[in-house]
Amino acid sequence: MSAMSKTSGGGRELLVIGVFAAIVLLLPFWLPLLGGYEALATKIVIWALFALGFDILLGFTGFLSFGHAAFFGTAAYTTGLMLKHVSADIIPALAVSVSLTLVLAIVLGFLTLRRSGIYFSILTLAFGEMLYAAVLSIFQGWTGGDNGLTMSTKPTLLGLPMQGLNVFYVCAVLLIGGFALARQIKRSPFGLMLMSIKENPMRLEYTGVNVMAYKMMAFTISGLYAAVAGSLMVVYEPYVATEFMHWTTSGEIVIMSVIGGVNTLLGPMIGAAFMLFFENVVQAFIGEQWKLILGAIFVLVVIFLPGGFIDLARRVRKAMGHMVPSRRDNVPDAPGSMREDRQKGRRADAQLGGR
Amino acid sequence: MSGDLINALFLQILTGLQLGMIYAMIALGLTLIFGTLGVVNFAHGALYLIGAYCAVIIAGKLGFLYAVILVPLILFVIGIILERGLIQYFYDRPHTDQILVTFGLAIVAEEALKWIFGANNIPYPVPSWGQGIVMLHEYVPFLSGFVVFPKWRLILILVSLVVIGALFFLLQFTRFGLVIRSGMRDAEMVRFLGINITRRFAAVFGLGALIAGIAGVFGGPITQVSPAVGMKMLVPSFLVVVIGGMGSVAGALIAAVVLGMALSFTAEYSSIQQIIIYLVAVVVLLTRPRGLMGKKGVFE
Repeated sequence: MSAMSKTSGGGRELLVIGVFAAIVLLLPFWLPLLGGYEALATKIVIWALFALGFDILLGFTGFLSFGHAAFFGTAAYTTGLMLKHVSADIIPALAVSVSLTLVLAIVLGFLTLRRSGIYFSILTLAFGEMLYAAVLSIFQGWTGGDNGLTMSTKPTLLGLPMQGLNVFYVCAVLLIGGFALARQIKRSPFGLMLMSIKENPMRLEYTGVNVMAYKMMAFTISGLYAAVAGSLMVVYEPYVATEFMHWTTSGEIVIMSVIGGVNTLLGPMIGAAFMLFFENVVQAFIGEQWKLILGAIFVLVVIFLPGGFIDLARRVRKAMGHMVPSRRDNVPDAPGSMREDRQKGRRADAQLGGR
Repeated sequence: MSGDLINALFLQILTGLQLGMIYAMIALGLTLIFGTLGVVNFAHGALYLIGAYCAVIIAGKLGFLYAVILVPLILFVIGIILERGLIQYFYDRPHTDQILVTFGLAIVAEEALKWIFGANNIPYPVPSWGQGIVMLHEYVPFLSGFVVFPKWRLILILVSLVVIGALFFLLQFTRFGLVIRSGMRDAEMVRFLGINITRRFAAVFGLGALIAGIAGVFGGPITQVSPAVGMKMLVPSFLVVVIGGMGSVAGALIAAVVLGMALSFTAEYSSIQQIIIYLVAVVVLLTRPRGLMGKKGVFE
């Protein structure tokens, strides 16, 4: 019985990934029907990979990082420098940039993961900004400073030129692999551990689990996804913009994940696609104010739809009278929260009135 | 010590004080709001920005003195509206949601200002009585030779000292301050005594916005007035709050001065100056994870 359900579970998993792969691989063909273009498909796939990794940290583990541009940018600059000075083949470039980002993730994790919640967000923001400042000043000689890193290299993969649809398929294969891996993590005991950290790290600590090690692994894995995405961005377009390192990039990935719906894996990718579509296609109709409108959408989603777009389906079903599980907070509070106390207190205050 | 060295040292300390004081004014609002309401306000940089833009408009239309009076009032009202209209519904939501919604507001404010005034920095002239330089050697006895400092920066230091002094007075010597301070320690106990602490805390949000407004009026000509400045000011102010210890007013003040001095004394090595505040933050957090004056048990 259990063996059978297991195999059927595995079959379902294969089906999910198969359907996902089909949708992604055919993206360059169906995206233009919606008003997009081929190159946008590549960009969406890259950012979707970034968002997937971000969900492992925010969605699974409950840590809101405002410094993921550090990983994305570091990998982008490393890849750019490798392609420019060492070899036009992308394999060594990816290998070096991912290893370097791994080291960076461990160092940053050591500094920021000692604290959770608000502290973590502020610290990641600060260290991200530090790296941005360093790229523009200390490493200016290598990175080209404010101009970004320009190069004339045409990247290749084992002799195959990385242009047009070739880049897309490399990125798409990595995204599908990344998706399968993220799903495996979610189903594994390791993933369960991460989700328990989100629920109650203190209880986990008391049961003898090395919480710091798990947090570190989640942070590092998430950083590596960002690193691969950052590297692919430079493969896609051989130029490194300083913005890759700027907090706006960290902010964008946060916005994508949240409007899509965290802790769902699909949600953040939908968010990424939505945002890039908005930026590149809808912008043509509404002009420069797209950022303002996107910001407003983001605020509205946070206020009224904390589960993101992906939660819409559940709400619609509920409105139609189906029995659906109630929404759980995507990112619950750190333990020892004052929420209930505050709720009680405000009720008391309401009774007190104007005193 | 030679006279030149004393002069240089004095000027660097003054510069450090000036740099630190702008951060201090923003950070004090942040730390007060955090200490009372438990909310980290990512939109605080935007409040500074709104203050600066309002100041440019009002100073241009009515005159600078009107800006000094009106802008803090406008910001106070904005703060109250923000707290009553939006933030209060987020106390029961996770901390991350609070960060997200204030972050979203910051983006909306920045983009709206960009839309109205353009992405470039708009001119904010210093009023005529604040222009020019001050001959410090005429006033300070131990300085020798010729020592000058921009007058406006000196005014900024004085204004921020007055603001900080007034805040301390308010918190330490008034009934309102007493209630706020006890509310920070144990809100429930204060409620048992029959005091509506939620209403007082809302006023604190307005107060934080008001201080950000004053910082915008006087800091605007120095930090420039462009949509990107809000976030540029916010990150160091966050560091000030974290280094000082979340929720600690005195800690924020000390941390602001420390960061200002660090910036001023590394000014000759520009590449180090860019990252010095982060390095200070790393050192402090490794040695004192709670921050300089952070209290045990207050958001660890």
